[in-house]
Amino acid sequence: MFLTFASWLHKTPISIVLQHQVAWLWPFCETLHFAGLALLLGVAGMFDLRLLGFMKRVPISVVKEFMPWALVGFTLNLLTGMIFIVSEPAQYFGNPTWWLKVTFLIIAGLNAFVFETAYGRRAAALPAGEDTPTPLKIIAAVSLISWAGVLWAGRMLPFLGAGVGAGL
Amino acid sequence: MEEFLLRLQESDFGVWVSSAPTLLAYPTILMLHTVGLAMVVGPAWVLDVRLLGYGARLPIESLRGAFRIMWIGFVINASTGIALFISEADDKGLKWIFWAKLASIALALIVTSRLRRAVFAGGVASDVAPPNARGLAKASLVLWLAAITAGRLMAYVK
Repeated sequence: MFLTFASWLHKTPISIVLQHQVAWLWPFCETLHFAGLALLLGVAGMFDLRLLGFMKRVPISVVKEFMPWALVGFTLNLLTGMIFIVSEPAQYFGNPTWWLKVTFLIIAGLNAFVFETAYGRRAAALPAGEDTPTPLKIIAAVSLISWAGVLWAGRMLPFLGAGVGAGL
Repeated sequence: MEEFLLRLQESDFGVWVSSAPTLLAYPTILMLHTVGLAMVVGPAWVLDVRLLGYGARLPIESLRGAFRIMWIGFVINASTGIALFISEADDKGLKWIFWAKLASIALALIVTSRLRRAVFAGGVASDVAPPNARGLAKASLVLWLAAITAGRLMAYVK
């Protein structure tokens, strides 16, 4: 079903435009994808370390002020990722490792949603210097592990499960 | 020079990295190189944007630990980088873009160590960044981006 969708997508005007785009579009997007990854993991990683109990003297709300930068990294990677997928859909939909990457992304997203809705206010109210409650530590660990999973699966795409000639 | 690069590439280790039929060779080493990238550049950029005035409520002193993460990431990337280089020495060693990447990293390291000295050397870091810190932070942002760009382009530039 997804491969039918992939071959349909591959024939859409937008995909055709991207496929015949200047040769440097793909490397350019890859570069942004790596820069976005560093920004996202740097900022989100710092926040997770704070939830795990590092930098205790800094209020969680202060560390959270950096989150817009993580969002910049994420948006950059979402956009460049969409460009990859729309250009060469079968290369991704046909690769189980890509689905694993998407699974890790969904876990990371749900985890962030649970944090925001169920623990956001509690975290913001936590006095500086106090140990973080266990649920926050679990959320931080899940976040770090799922982002590591996203990175692992993403980097393994050309090597693991790539049926269609994937570029390195 | 070229003979030396070829000998590196054809060494047992070089051949193992490039063509051992296991995901633990080239793919995992390359993946760890990306983990190291995030550990070096992520904290560096957080520190840079803070020094440029963003998130001013965050005490600069609390970012002292960033250097430990960056250092671990750098050790990962120096070792995985050497392994990757050996496996393709005769190709990468002859590319100007590879040397551009190394030059960017060398400059970024100099800037990072100066930044550390300027901001963290004299006891608890002040929340008013010293005057030269802004320039160093901007240089750090740009040089790490240059290193990432050159690294990615190594797969494309002939």
